[in-house]
Amino acid sequence: MTLASAQVESTLLALKIAFLVLLYLFIWRIVRSASRDLRLPQESMILRPHQVAGLLPQPPAPELGRLVVTASPALEEGEIFVLDAAPISIGRGAVNDIPIASDEYASSRHARFEPRRDGVYVEDVGSTNGTFVNGVRVTRERRLSPGDLIRIGETDLRFEP
Amino acid sequence: MTARNRELAYLIVVGALTGLGFASVYIARQSQVSWGSLSYAALFVGLYLVAHVIARVAVPNADPYLLPMAGLLTAVGITEIYRLGPSDAFKQGLWIIVAVAVFAGAVLGLRRDYRVLEQYKYLFGVGAILLLFLPRVPGLGLTVNGARLWVHAGPFQFQPGELAKIFLIVFLAAYLREKREVLAQGRPKDLGPLLLIWGGAMLVLATTNDLGSAFLYYGIFLAMLYIATARLSYVVVGVFLFLAGGAFAESKIAHVHERVVIWLQPWTTTKVYCPLTGTMALRQDCQSYQLVKSLYSIGSGGFGGAGLGKGTFTTATGQQLIPYVNTDFIYSALAQELGLIGASALLLVFMLFVARGMKIALQAEDGFSKLLAAGLTFGFALQTFIIVGGVLRLIPVTGITLPFVSYGGSSVVANFLVLAGLMLVSNRANSQT
Repeated sequence: MTLASAQVESTLLALKIAFLVLLYLFIWRIVRSASRDLRLPQESMILRPHQVAGLLPQPPAPELGRLVVTASPALEEGEIFVLDAAPISIGRGAVNDIPIASDEYASSRHARFEPRRDGVYVEDVGSTNGTFVNGVRVTRERRLSPGDLIRIGETDLRFEP
Repeated sequence: MTARNRELAYLIVVGALTGLGFASVYIARQSQVSWGSLSYAALFVGLYLVAHVIARVAVPNADPYLLPMAGLLTAVGITEIYRLGPSDAFKQGLWIIVAVAVFAGAVLGLRRDYRVLEQYKYLFGVGAILLLFLPRVPGLGLTVNGARLWVHAGPFQFQPGELAKIFLIVFLAAYLREKREVLAQGRPKDLGPLLLIWGGAMLVLATTNDLGSAFLYYGIFLAMLYIATARLSYVVVGVFLFLAGGAFAESKIAHVHERVVIWLQPWTTTKVYCPLTGTMALRQDCQSYQLVKSLYSIGSGGFGGAGLGKGTFTTATGQQLIPYVNTDFIYSALAQELGLIGASALLLVFMLFVARGMKIALQAEDGFSKLLAAGLTFGFALQTFIIVGGVLRLIPVTGITLPFVSYGGSSVVANFLVLAGLMLVSNRANSQT
C-alpha cells in the first residue's frame, strides 16, 4: 500500500509517539517491579508468627559454665562468675569484668575467658606472670575442661560446667 | 509470576517496540506499508525467544529484567543501523546470531558452577594480554582509523580488545578474591603481580593509541580493587596517578593533545593549521569535524526528535555527514531521531541495567561472584559513560562502542558474554535462597 505524503507524515508521527510511549512504559514497569522486591518483607503490617517471635524479648543466653573462686587475696572464696554468651576479662584494672585490684601478682589486663560454640576458652592477654591451667602456662588460647584449675596471679579459679 | 514468565512478558514488549521502530524506518524510506518491513523485526524477536528458552533451561532463577533490557538496546541499535545502511544491518544481524549462540554456549556450559573459571585465573590474565597484543602481530593486525585494534582472518574482522576486557575482569575477580585480606592491609609489595599485568595492558594500549580502552581498563581495575578491599586510599592514589599520567600524555603525545584540543575548542573563528590536509582551515572543518557534526545532529533532534527514519545524516550530494556514525557516534544519530525524550529513555535503560547488575553483586554469596558481577557491571557502566560523555562533549571523545547498540561484531559478542555472566551469578544467588 503506497501512502500519500500527508499520510506518511501522520503515520510517522503516530509511530513515533507510540514508540516513545511504549519505551517509557517498559522502563516504568521495570522500575516498578524491581522496586517491589525491595519492599517485599514489608508488604503487610500484620506480622507472621515467626516475625513476632523475633520481636519478643530474647530468653537469657544459656549458661556455658561458671568460674568458682577457690583462693584469692582479692575475691571471696566460693564466689561464682557465670559464663554466658559474653567474654569475661580479668585483671587488676578497674575496666575488667572481674577486677582483682589487691592481687599484686596479677597484671592490669591479665586474662580473658571466651565462650564459643565448642566450649569456653581461656587466653592470656599479655600478663607479666602468666596464666596457668592445671599448673601449665597458657601460651595460646586453650579450651577448658570441667574441673580445670586456673591460676591468675595469686587467684585460683575452678571451671565447672 | 515466575522470573522466566516475567522475562517473556517483557520480551513481548521489546518485540512490539522493534516492530514499531522498523515500520517507522521503512515507511520513511519507501512511503509504503508492507509486511516485508517487519521481517527483520520478526527475525530479531525470534532470536530473543531462542535466548529466552535457553535461559529457561540453563538459568531458570536468573534476574528476569536483564535479557529484555539487553534485547531492547540491541533492537534500538539494529533499527538505527538499518536506517543508516541496510547492508550493515544484515551483517549486524548475523553477528547477533553468533552472539546469541555464544551466550547459549556460556550459560549452558557453565550452568552447574561458573566458579570453575576461578581456577584458570592466570590463564585469563595472560589471555587478556595476548588478545591485546594480537593486532600487533604482522600479517594479522589491521589498522583502522589510526588505531591498530583489529584482527582479520579471511573475511572476518574482530576487535580482540572487547574480549580482553572480559578476560581481565574474570582474572581480577579471581585474583582479588584470593588476595583481598592481604591487599586490604595496604602493603605495597602485595600489589606486584597486579601492577605487572596492569602495566602490561597499559603498555599495549599506549602503543595502539586506544585511549578510550585505556581509561576503561584502568577504571575497572580501580573499581574492583576498591570493591575488594574497601580502601578509599587506593582510589584516591589511583585517580591522582591517572590525572598525572593524563597530563603527561597530553603534553608529550600529539594524538592525546589533539583530542583535548578538539574537546575544549571544537570551533575556531580564524583558520588554524590543519594536520589532516596540511593547509589552513577552520577547526570545525578539520579535526573536530566529526564531533561538531555530531553535536549539530543531537541539537537538531530537539525534545521530540525527528522520528525514526526522518533524521538527516547525508548531505544533498549523498555524502555521509558524520564519519563512523553507526559505531562510535550512534548515540548522536539516535538523539536526533528520538529527541531528548528518547535519548534520555535509552540512558535510563542503561542505568537500570547497571542497577540490576549491582543488585546481583549484592545478592551473590561468595567473593568471586560478587567481584565478577560488580566488575562486569562497572565495565558496562563506564564504557557507556565514556562514549556517551564523549559524544556529548562532557569528556574528550574516544573511539569505543556503545554497549549492545553500536555496530560491530566483537562488541555485540562481548556484551552478550557480560549478559551471560550476570545471569549465571544471579541464577546461583537466587537458587540458594
